[in-house]
Amino acid sequence: MKEQTVCHIDDMQPGELRESVIGRISIVVCKTLDGEFYAFTNKCIHQGGPLAKGKLCGAPQSDNPGEYTFCQDGEILRCPWHGREFDVKDDGRMLANPERKLPSFPVKIENDYVIVYK
Amino acid sequence: MNNNQQSPKKRIIDVDIHESVLYKDLFKYLDNPYRRYIEDANWIQEKHLPYTQPSVAGVNRADAKTPDGGIAGSDLPFMQEQLLDDIGHEYGILTGALDPSPSSMHGWYEMATALASAYNDWQIENWLEKDERLYGSVHINAEDPSGAVREIERVGSHPKMVQILLPIDDKMWGDPYFHPIYEAAEKHNLMIGMHHNEPPIYYGKWPRYFIEWHSLLPTTHMMMVTNMIFNGVFEKFPNLKLMMIEGGFTFVPHLMWKLDQQYTDLRHEVPWIKRKPSDIMKEHVRFCTQPSEELNKKDFLSVLDQMGSEEMICFATDYPHWDFDSPHRAIPNFDPDLKKKLFSENARAFYPKLK
Repeated sequence: MKEQTVCHIDDMQPGELRESVIGRISIVVCKTLDGEFYAFTNKCIHQGGPLAKGKLCGAPQSDNPGEYTFCQDGEILRCPWHGREFDVKDDGRMLANPERKLPSFPVKIENDYVIVYK
Repeated sequence: MNNNQQSPKKRIIDVDIHESVLYKDLFKYLDNPYRRYIEDANWIQEKHLPYTQPSVAGVNRADAKTPDGGIAGSDLPFMQEQLLDDIGHEYGILTGALDPSPSSMHGWYEMATALASAYNDWQIENWLEKDERLYGSVHINAEDPSGAVREIERVGSHPKMVQILLPIDDKMWGDPYFHPIYEAAEKHNLMIGMHHNEPPIYYGKWPRYFIEWHSLLPTTHMMMVTNMIFNGVFEKFPNLKLMMIEGGFTFVPHLMWKLDQQYTDLRHEVPWIKRKPSDIMKEHVRFCTQPSEELNKKDFLSVLDQMGSEEMICFATDYPHWDFDSPHRAIPNFDPDLKKKLFSENARAFYPKLK
């Protein structure tokens, strides 16, 4: 199993994305507002957009047409190209089509450092 | 009730038959001052297309002029002879001639609403209650939703009223302003039928030629389906269904692909949509075979395959209009199961009031 030390936990701010590499694979590391870390492929499964250039944002949700609720702030990774939304806390599932998801990588915090495994 | 129905040659439910009225025939059903406004001012009904008409009898089949020289579609016995008996309809859905088209009128809601009521009473007395094969559309003035709801409450429970008719002109019917109409429709087990009236297609203007306008009418149907879906009408009113009348169907695969793809990118703007727009279309929207693009069997089946459904298309003649489709010539000769779906069962499943 390969591993990659990405950074110290305080090197990233909540809501920040950071590009890293494990082996030859480019990955995006996400730090959510509650301080958790998640890692995914850095290539969008749609057309290969560089996800680390996107944004960790929230998701408008609604059960009533015309009414919006803003949910999951800091947990939705939006691709910088076509804006597709991936739920980082739900294994990278696409909101519009939960059958599709981003390939993910295990993340551990060891001695306050963010380690991604493959 | 005069039932001239013969043994059907094949079961046909025709979802687009245009009956016609002259304003003077509505006088009996129109209260004053509205009757006198028309009568005293000699108000002449008119349409506004800036073209000479497409055929030798305007927009109608030349042979559909009534025996006494009246306008096509204005005489029930002649319609029975020329269409219902000749073809052997099981049922036909009346869709009016959009003249009057109260929902197309700009302003003077009081007159538009009164005309809609008069039309409905005329339709019930002279058509629906005189031929058991004919079912009707509730005409409303949708610009005034509260007046429209009152009219739906008044006639919507009639057992032969199966849908509410909305014209495709320049209004986007998915707008929440019109949602009270859909609430009333659901209450009375009515579907929505949309038929183009005189939509300006070229960026709100008229193209130079009728052939341009007429070729692109399906784009206005695409607009309405898109508008209804993304405004969440079918999420808000889960029992409501929409019949797109006289727009054809060959554009449907494109629209399904386009809406699904756009939803995948832009879900965040319409988060009340929880499923693929194409799935919403499959459940809630139906389209007509007419006007036929005269596909051969292979191409027709290919479109159905691309739609992923044999249940979304319903047969329509568009009688008595010039681009009428004959059930004997307009549709390829399919296997009996598919024919049954296209000619009758898809429509029967769509309109809950049809037995």
